[in-house]
Amino acid sequence: MIAAQRITALTAQTVAVHPVSWAFVLGGVAVIVLAAVGLLKLKTPYARIHAAGKASPVAFLIASVGASIELGWAAGARLVVASAALIITLPLAVHLLFRALHGTRAADDPPVDELREGHGSRPV
Amino acid sequence: MILIAYAGLVFAAMAAIYRLVTGPTIADRVIALDLLLVSLMTAIVVDAVVTGDAVLLNLLVVIAIIGFTATVAVARFMERPR
Repeated sequence: MIAAQRITALTAQTVAVHPVSWAFVLGGVAVIVLAAVGLLKLKTPYARIHAAGKASPVAFLIASVGASIELGWAAGARLVVASAALIITLPLAVHLLFRALHGTRAADDPPVDELREGHGSRPV
Repeated sequence: MILIAYAGLVFAAMAAIYRLVTGPTIADRVIALDLLLVSLMTAIVVDAVVTGDAVLLNLLVVIAIIGFTATVAVARFMERPR
Protein backbone atom coordinates (compact mmCIF):
# COMPACT_ATOMS: atom_id res chain seq x y z
CA MET A 1 0.00 0.00 0.00
CA ILE A 2 1.42 3.31 -1.02
CA ALA A 3 1.77 6.26 1.32
CA ALA A 4 -1.20 8.29 0.07
CA GLN A 5 -3.56 5.38 0.62
CA ARG A 6 -2.03 4.85 4.05
CA ILE A 7 -2.63 8.48 5.01
CA THR A 8 -6.18 8.27 3.65
CA ALA A 9 -6.82 5.20 5.76
CA LEU A 10 -5.41 7.00 8.79
CA THR A 11 -7.54 10.09 8.45
CA ALA A 12 -10.82 8.93 6.90
CA GLN A 13 -10.93 5.37 8.35
CA THR A 14 -11.62 3.77 5.00
CA VAL A 15 -10.80 0.28 6.24
CA ALA A 16 -13.57 -1.24 8.31
CA VAL A 17 -12.05 -2.92 11.35
CA HIS A 18 -13.88 -5.47 13.45
CA PRO A 19 -14.97 -4.10 16.87
CA VAL A 20 -13.46 -7.04 18.75
CA SER A 21 -10.14 -6.33 17.07
CA TRP A 22 -10.41 -2.68 18.09
CA ALA A 23 -11.21 -3.70 21.64
CA PHE A 24 -8.05 -5.81 21.90
CA VAL A 25 -5.87 -3.15 20.25
CA LEU A 26 -7.19 -0.40 22.51
CA GLY A 27 -6.72 -2.70 25.51
CA GLY A 28 -3.08 -3.12 24.59
CA VAL A 29 -2.71 0.64 24.18
CA ALA A 30 -4.34 1.15 27.59
CA VAL A 31 -1.85 -1.23 29.21
CA ILE A 32 1.11 0.54 27.63
CA VAL A 33 -0.31 3.90 28.77
CA LEU A 34 -0.45 2.52 32.31
CA ALA A 35 3.15 1.36 31.97
CA ALA A 36 4.13 4.86 30.87
CA VAL A 37 2.29 6.42 33.80
CA GLY A 38 4.14 4.08 36.13
CA LEU A 39 7.43 5.00 34.50
CA LEU A 40 6.63 8.67 35.02
CA LYS A 41 5.15 8.74 38.50
CA LEU A 42 6.83 6.07 40.62
CA LYS A 43 9.54 7.09 43.03
CA THR A 44 12.31 4.49 43.06
CA PRO A 45 14.15 2.94 40.09
CA TYR A 46 13.04 -0.54 41.18
CA ALA A 47 9.38 0.48 41.03
CA ARG A 48 9.83 2.15 37.67
CA ILE A 49 11.50 -0.88 36.12
CA HIS A 50 8.83 -3.09 37.68
CA ALA A 51 6.07 -0.99 36.12
CA ALA A 52 7.52 -0.58 32.65
CA GLY A 53 9.31 -3.85 32.15
CA LYS A 54 6.49 -6.17 33.09
CA ALA A 55 3.53 -4.38 31.54
CA SER A 56 5.04 -3.76 28.12
CA PRO A 57 5.13 -7.37 26.78
CA VAL A 58 1.57 -7.85 28.01
CA ALA A 59 0.54 -4.72 26.12
CA PHE A 60 2.14 -5.95 22.94
CA LEU A 61 0.55 -9.38 23.39
CA ILE A 62 -2.97 -7.96 23.76
CA ALA A 63 -2.54 -5.64 20.77
CA SER A 64 -1.19 -8.49 18.64
CA VAL A 65 -4.20 -10.65 19.56
CA GLY A 66 -6.41 -7.90 18.17
CA ALA A 67 -4.30 -7.59 15.03
CA SER A 68 -4.41 -11.36 14.52
CA ILE A 69 -8.21 -11.28 14.64
CA GLU A 70 -8.24 -8.56 12.01
CA LEU A 71 -5.48 -9.67 9.66
CA GLY A 72 -5.84 -13.43 9.43
CA TRP A 73 -3.58 -16.44 9.73
CA ALA A 74 -0.51 -15.33 7.77
CA ALA A 75 -0.10 -12.13 9.74
CA GLY A 76 -1.07 -13.96 12.92
CA ALA A 77 1.84 -16.35 12.50
CA ARG A 78 4.27 -13.44 12.26
CA LEU A 79 2.66 -11.81 15.28
CA VAL A 80 3.04 -15.06 17.22
CA VAL A 81 6.75 -15.16 16.37
CA ALA A 82 7.19 -11.51 17.39
CA SER A 83 5.27 -12.03 20.64
CA ALA A 84 7.33 -15.11 21.45
CA ALA A 85 10.55 -13.19 20.86
CA LEU A 86 9.38 -10.34 23.08
CA ILE A 87 8.04 -12.56 25.86
CA ILE A 88 11.17 -14.71 25.98
CA THR A 89 13.67 -11.86 25.85
CA LEU A 90 12.12 -8.96 27.76
CA PRO A 91 11.79 -10.57 31.23
CA LEU A 92 15.37 -11.78 30.86
CA ALA A 93 16.53 -8.26 30.04
CA VAL A 94 14.57 -6.82 32.96
CA HIS A 95 16.09 -9.41 35.30
CA LEU A 96 19.59 -8.50 34.16
CA LEU A 97 18.74 -4.84 34.61
CA PHE A 98 17.48 -5.39 38.15
CA ARG A 99 20.64 -7.33 38.96
CA ALA A 100 22.88 -4.61 37.57
CA LEU A 101 20.89 -1.90 39.36
CA HIS A 102 21.16 -3.76 42.63
CA GLY A 103 24.93 -3.90 42.31
CA THR A 104 25.22 -0.19 41.52
CA ARG A 105 25.30 2.44 44.21
CA ALA A 106 23.67 5.75 43.53
CA ALA A 107 26.87 7.67 44.19
CA ASP A 108 28.81 6.08 41.36
CA ASP A 109 25.95 5.52 39.00
CA PRO A 110 27.96 6.17 35.88
CA PRO A 111 30.25 3.25 36.76
CA VAL A 112 33.32 4.61 35.03
CA ASP A 113 33.49 8.38 35.19
CA GLU A 114 36.68 9.26 33.43
CA LEU A 115 36.14 13.00 33.67
CA ARG A 116 35.67 13.16 37.44
CA GLU A 117 38.88 11.52 38.62
CA GLY A 118 42.33 12.46 37.43
CA HIS A 119 41.29 14.69 34.52
CA GLY A 120 43.09 12.56 32.00
CA SER A 121 46.24 12.17 34.05
CA ARG A 122 45.26 8.66 35.09
CA PRO A 123 47.43 5.94 33.49
CA VAL A 124 45.31 4.00 31.07
CA MET B 1 -10.59 4.99 17.45
CA ILE B 2 -7.43 5.43 15.40
CA LEU B 3 -6.72 8.73 17.08
CA ILE B 4 -7.23 7.23 20.55
CA ALA B 5 -4.82 4.40 19.81
CA TYR B 6 -2.15 6.64 18.35
CA ALA B 7 -2.58 9.24 21.11
CA GLY B 8 -1.99 6.57 23.75
CA LEU B 9 1.11 5.36 21.97
CA VAL B 10 2.43 8.89 21.55
CA PHE B 11 1.84 9.53 25.25
CA ALA B 12 3.77 6.38 26.14
CA ALA B 13 6.60 7.36 23.83
CA MET B 14 6.76 10.90 25.25
CA ALA B 15 6.82 9.53 28.80
CA ALA B 16 9.62 7.19 27.82
CA ILE B 17 11.57 10.05 26.23
CA TYR B 18 11.10 12.17 29.35
CA ARG B 19 12.41 9.37 31.53
CA LEU B 20 15.22 8.80 29.04
CA VAL B 21 16.35 12.42 29.31
CA THR B 22 15.89 12.96 33.05
CA GLY B 23 16.33 9.47 34.44
CA PRO B 24 18.37 9.50 37.62
CA THR B 25 20.05 6.15 36.97
CA ILE B 26 21.25 4.32 33.89
CA ALA B 27 18.68 1.58 34.51
CA ASP B 28 15.87 4.13 34.20
CA ARG B 29 17.21 5.24 30.85
CA VAL B 30 17.52 1.68 29.62
CA ILE B 31 13.99 0.72 30.63
CA ALA B 32 12.75 3.93 29.02
CA LEU B 33 14.40 2.88 25.77
CA ASP B 34 12.77 -0.51 26.15
CA LEU B 35 9.33 1.05 26.62
CA LEU B 36 9.99 3.29 23.63
CA LEU B 37 10.75 0.27 21.47
CA VAL B 38 7.68 -1.59 22.67
CA SER B 39 5.50 1.42 21.93
CA LEU B 40 7.06 1.53 18.45
CA MET B 41 6.21 -2.16 17.99
CA THR B 42 2.64 -1.59 19.15
CA ALA B 43 2.40 1.36 16.75
CA ILE B 44 3.46 -0.94 13.91
CA VAL B 45 0.74 -3.39 14.95
CA VAL B 46 -1.88 -0.60 15.05
CA ASP B 47 -0.73 0.59 11.63
CA ALA B 48 -1.12 -2.94 10.26
CA VAL B 49 -4.65 -3.12 11.67
CA VAL B 50 -5.64 0.29 10.30
CA THR B 51 -4.31 -0.16 6.79
CA GLY B 52 -4.93 -3.90 6.53
CA ASP B 53 -1.37 -4.30 5.29
CA ALA B 54 0.78 -6.89 7.01
CA VAL B 55 4.12 -6.23 5.36
CA LEU B 56 5.56 -4.21 8.26
CA LEU B 57 5.02 -7.05 10.72
CA ASN B 58 8.33 -8.57 9.66
CA LEU B 59 10.08 -5.77 11.50
CA LEU B 60 8.72 -6.77 14.90
CA VAL B 61 11.07 -9.68 15.54
CA VAL B 62 14.06 -7.58 14.54
CA ILE B 63 13.06 -4.73 16.86
CA ALA B 64 12.44 -7.11 19.77
CA ILE B 65 15.83 -8.79 19.45
CA ILE B 66 17.70 -5.51 18.95
CA GLY B 67 16.07 -4.10 22.10
CA PHE B 68 17.01 -7.20 24.07
CA THR B 69 20.61 -7.01 22.86
CA ALA B 70 20.89 -3.34 23.78
CA THR B 71 19.48 -3.92 27.27
CA VAL B 72 21.80 -6.84 27.95
CA ALA B 73 24.81 -4.87 26.73
CA VAL B 74 24.07 -1.91 29.00
CA ALA B 75 23.35 -4.22 31.94
CA ARG B 76 26.73 -5.91 31.52
CA PHE B 77 28.34 -2.48 31.24
CA MET B 78 26.73 -1.42 34.52
CA GLU B 79 27.80 -4.62 36.23
CA ARG B 80 31.42 -4.83 35.21
CA PRO B 81 34.02 -4.77 37.97
CA ARG B 82 35.74 -1.56 38.84
